Order: sequence, then structure tokens, then C-alpha cells
Amino acid sequence: MIPVRVNENLRLSGGYQEYEIDSERDLELTFTAEEDCDVFVRIKNDVNLRVRWFIAHDVKASVLFWNVSGQPVKMDQSADVMRNSDLTMAFGECGAAQTDINAYVALREEGAQSLLSTASLVSTHKNYHLQTVNFAPHTYGDMKNYAVVLNKGVLMIDAVGSIVKGAYRSESHQTSRALSFEEGQKSTILPELLIDENDVQASHAMSIGRMDEDQLYYMMSRGLSVQQCTSLISTGYLMPVTEVLKNESLRQKLKEEMERKIGEICSM
Amino acid sequence: MKTLDIRNLHVSVEGKEILKGLNLTVNENEIHALMGPNGNGKSTLLAAIMGNPKYVVTEGSITYDGKNLLEMPVNERSIAGLFLAMQYPQEIPGVTNSDFLRAAMNVRNERPVSLFTFIRAMEKTIKDLEMKEDLAHRFLNEGFSGGEKKRNEIVQMEMLKPSLSMLDEVDSGLDVDALKIVAAALNRMHEETGMSMIIVSHYERFYELVKPQFTHVLINGRIVLDGDASLVDRIDKEGYDWIYQEYGLEHEEEQTPARRVTSIGACAVRESVKGMENK
Repeated sequence: MIPVRVNENLRLSGGYQEYEIDSERDLELTFTAEEDCDVFVRIKNDVNLRVRWFIAHDVKASVLFWNVSGQPVKMDQSADVMRNSDLTMAFGECGAAQTDINAYVALREEGAQSLLSTASLVSTHKNYHLQTVNFAPHTYGDMKNYAVVLNKGVLMIDAVGSIVKGAYRSESHQTSRALSFEEGQKSTILPELLIDENDVQASHAMSIGRMDEDQLYYMMSRGLSVQQCTSLISTGYLMPVTEVLKNESLRQKLKEEMERKIGEICSM
Repeated sequence: MKTLDIRNLHVSVEGKEILKGLNLTVNENEIHALMGPNGNGKSTLLAAIMGNPKYVVTEGSITYDGKNLLEMPVNERSIAGLFLAMQYPQEIPGVTNSDFLRAAMNVRNERPVSLFTFIRAMEKTIKDLEMKEDLAHRFLNEGFSGGEKKRNEIVQMEMLKPSLSMLDEVDSGLDVDALKIVAAALNRMHEETGMSMIIVSHYERFYELVKPQFTHVLINGRIVLDGDASLVDRIDKEGYDWIYQEYGLEHEEEQTPARRVTSIGACAVRESVKGMENK
């Protein structure tokens, strides 16, 4: 785990690496990936974070931000993805404080691909503004958002997929799903597609719903309390976000962490 | 001795009374067959015992081992020893069989079951029920065939070791071989733990494999006839008509709600025309 406490320009080496952001002041970071890499970034403590990503051509980069900060966090992420590169940027949000994430991915050159993925355990305000822009032909952008909205949670997702004129044979897709367990929570999801080219494919899917009562009854009939059912289902709903990194032990650790967080929040 | 005692039970579903004063006693170690034509309340009875919130008990009592079940939430009834193998088991994506079962076992034990013990027990049960080896890591019932879902109910039963199991048409959807595997598992649990059972099935074949000591016939929301295993035989050969005649029972018409017009577009017109044609 490499601690990050000051503004830095980081050149990512190949393979798996971990960073921990632990700072009381605002930070500006630049990551440059010129080799295939898997990056795990734990946000322990930061108020305001600006991150720039540069994914060089023919590189496959996956990054997972894991926010466990007890304080409100603001993140502003922007990425440039070059020719035949593939960026997966995922956010795991299980902190009990407010988070505002602004993520912008530019598919700059032909063959660039990206996936923006969020998984949020929402017990307070969580706001996302996500945008993927296809600037070049034959580019592929995808967004996947999953949220479990618990008591007093307010979720806001604004997801925009844009394809500019001239970016022919490009694709822009997005899926957003929010699951709640009781009445009184608020979720807003705004899926937007801004398409300025004819020869493209684009789609969006969205659902907001309460947990199925028959499923709850089924699980309870085997002895589990409502809280345990909530925890199991939420974990199952959100944990796929960790699959962006091929690291089994990290995944297991994050799963336990998520379960603990859900347990804490549900018993409050 | 753990006894299930049901007195004068009235149960409604969506405002319609299905059970109308039902009495039943099931002692430890007993196997009861529950028979009756479709739509007379067999599944309703099992769901009411388990505590499905859609089934409202309006009158009467259900106690188990001296405890008032009607005051207990569903999960506490399970912990008290009840198990319902459901007719339509739910699919729960994202939750693996092993995570689910381990959690369910842990609520019954003072100390959490160790991973080693759990894996050993799970492997043995999977082998007993001749399920695929990857069952533990698959999501709960997701993408399972009808037969696999039913067998998975029995896997759960074997792991959780209930003292009273209710089986709601667990034999439907099972092929001949699977039927034998499930029956063998039920008989084994019955012998080893004295588990009592209430079995709902339409088929004599299943009652041949798991032999009931008592048979009850449920018609019009009440148990109208009690007998031993020979009653299953007679119903298999002769159907239910003789019971209606002998006991002077009416065939209660299944009430279908009036056709509701949900929109005033072309579809609604077509639907109302269809409705008239049906009459």
C-alpha cells in the first residue's frame, strides 16, 4: 500500500498496485498508465480530490476506488483514453458520509473503450455526475451503476453518454439500478444519451424498486432476520463492482468490509 | 414432545377466506399426508403455519411445542424448528447458496459454525442429494431447473435439521430418479432425528416412497376426512367425488374476479369483447 499525502504525478508500473489516500487537505493527482495495470485506491481521508488519468494507446487499465472515509468526500475524475486502450474505473462507496463524484471519460482515439462502474451503499447523500464522451470512431463506452438505498439515504445519479459528430460505429450504453428496503428513501436517476452521429448504437436501462417481499419471506423462512436478509442481498448487489480487479484476497477483504458496514448501518 | 396444534384456524388471502375452521395435530415423529382437490387450501395452510405475511389468520390458534406461532415472525418460527419446502422456491441473485446456508445455520447455533465443519456438511449433503458440485457457489436457485430447485429445498432442510418439515408439492417437477433421492433423504432424516412431516402431494407414488401414518383430506377450507395410508390408495383409484357425496359437500365454485377494463384503448375493447364471447 503506497500512501499518498501530497499532490503527485504518478506513473503506473505494470501489474497490481495499491494506493491509500490519507490527507486532511485538497489533493491533485495525475496517473499515467503506459502498461497494463490493476490499481486499487483506498480513500481513507480526503475532503477534495482531483484526479487526472491518462491511458496511453494499447493499454488495459482497471482501477477501483474504495471510499471508507468518515467525512464528506468530493471527487473530480477525468480520464483520456487513447487508441485501442481499455479503461475500467469503478467506485465502491460504503462510507457513512456524503460523497459527490464527478467522473468524465473521454474516448479520444479509435478503438478506445471504457466502463464506469459505481456501487453505493447509500445511507446519506450520494451524488454522481458521470459522463462518457465518444470523440473518435469505433469507440465503446459503458456505465453500470448499482445502489442499495437504506434508511435516510438520498441517491442522485446523472449519467450522460455522448457521441460526437464523426464518431461513427461507436457505442454508448448505460445501466443504473437502485434497490431499497423500506419506504421513505429517495433515489433519482437521470439517464441521458446525447447522440450527434447516425451510425452508432446506444442504450440505457434503469430501475428503482423495493426489495421483493416474496424473496424476503423465502429467506426469513430459513431463520434469517430482516437485517440479515438486507445485508446478504445488499452485499450480493454491490460486490460485483470489485470484480474489476483480478485479486481474490482483496475481493474477500472488501466483501467482509462491506458486510460489516451494512451491519453497522442497519443496526443504527 | 414437540407438537404442532392447530385449532379452529381461519385464514384469508386478499380478503377471501380460504381456511374456515381447520383443526390438525401433528406429534413428533409422525408423517401426515395432506390431500384434497386443487384450490381448497392445502398450500394456504402450510403458508399460514410458516407465517407468510400474505396469509392473514383471522381466527383460531397455531401452537408448536407450546409456543404461540402466531405471535412469532417468520424467522423465529424457522428457528423454533419449522421448515417449509416451498412449491415455488424464490431465486435470489447475488447471494450464494453457501453464504445463505451458513448464515441460516449460524442463527441456530450459539457459536458460529466453523468454515471447515460447514464445508464438510455441505459436501456431504450435495452428495446425498446428487446435486452438482458447484451448488455451494451458485446463486440461490438462480437459473436452477424446476427439479434442481426442489432438490435444493431438501439440501437446505438437511443442513438446517428442522423438527417439523412441511413439503408443498416437493415431488412436482422431479423425475423418477430424483423423486427416489428426495424420498430417501426424507426417510433418513425422519429416522435419524424423529423429524415429523406434513406432506402435500397429489401423487400416490410419492406416498409409496415416504409412507404417511395419517392422511387428511382438505375440502372447502376444512379437514373433512381423516384416515391412514390406505386413504391415499382409495383417492388415487377413485378420486374425490365419493368424499363429496358421502359427506354431503358442495363443490365451491372458484370465484374469478370480474374482468376489469384497465384502459379505454383498442386493447380494452378487444378484452371486453373477448369477455362477452367467453360468457
